[in-house]
Amino acid sequence: MRQPLLAEEAARADFYALLGRLFHAAPDAALLGDLARAGPIPPTGDAALAQAWQRLVDASSAMDEDAAADEFDALFGGVGKSQVSPYAGYYTGATAVDHPRVRLRDDLAGLGLGRREQVNEPEDHFAGLFDVMRVLVAGGAGRERAALEVQRRFFESNLKPGAGKFLDAVAGAQGANYYRSVAALGAAFVAIETESFSLD
Amino acid sequence: MKTAKTTDRRKFLLAAGLGGAGVAAAVASVAPKAKKAAAAAAQPAQGDGYRVSEHILKYYKTTEV
Repeated sequence: MRQPLLAEEAARADFYALLGRLFHAAPDAALLGDLARAGPIPPTGDAALAQAWQRLVDASSAMDEDAAADEFDALFGGVGKSQVSPYAGYYTGATAVDHPRVRLRDDLAGLGLGRREQVNEPEDHFAGLFDVMRVLVAGGAGRERAALEVQRRFFESNLKPGAGKFLDAVAGAQGANYYRSVAALGAAFVAIETESFSLD
Repeated sequence: MKTAKTTDRRKFLLAAGLGGAGVAAAVASVAPKAKKAAAAAAQPAQGDGYRVSEHILKYYKTTEV
């Protein structure tokens, strides 16, 4: 019998889902609306997370989907033209022989995960890495959630190494506006995850 | 040993606010659309074929699906 997720584990999965979604594509009007209406995070917890959340909520109420799409394309769109690489390997000094993608493919295969058919995007896109974590934390599509140790190993091997530089690059990119708040939320959340995994 | 560490982790997450009603409700209120959009984007389109762009296709599925 599957146990319901504890509230904090459900929240982790939801943060991963949101980050994966926002680095996959620009938010549409429906998601911007939900974000704009989302409640505040009480400042009694992690202050950086609460502040970043409020910034994202405020930014979402001031953003429309066309402007968000333009910003997303300017930041991440176009081969060789994007300002910010969304691939983890770019930030981890990947070499051809020992590219993190090679290890990532092995890790994904070991977890019974892989790209959807017809997807030709390299696996180390951060949207995919966040989404893998969502699946490991919450389970879904007939699969149980993964043991904490499995989550920790995937996070530390594949997501954490490039995440800081990637989120810094997003925050500092020319033309970044809405995505500065996304990057700040990502950084606050990754910091919490990093510390929590070190405790277990 | 393991239990003590797990308790530390849980305490930490609760202290960070992740288990609090505010965080859980706030992020849960946006997660369904985040997940739905992700799933929809990864479906092969009907009619005009699968729409491929350089930054759009990043979805994983389980082998059980």
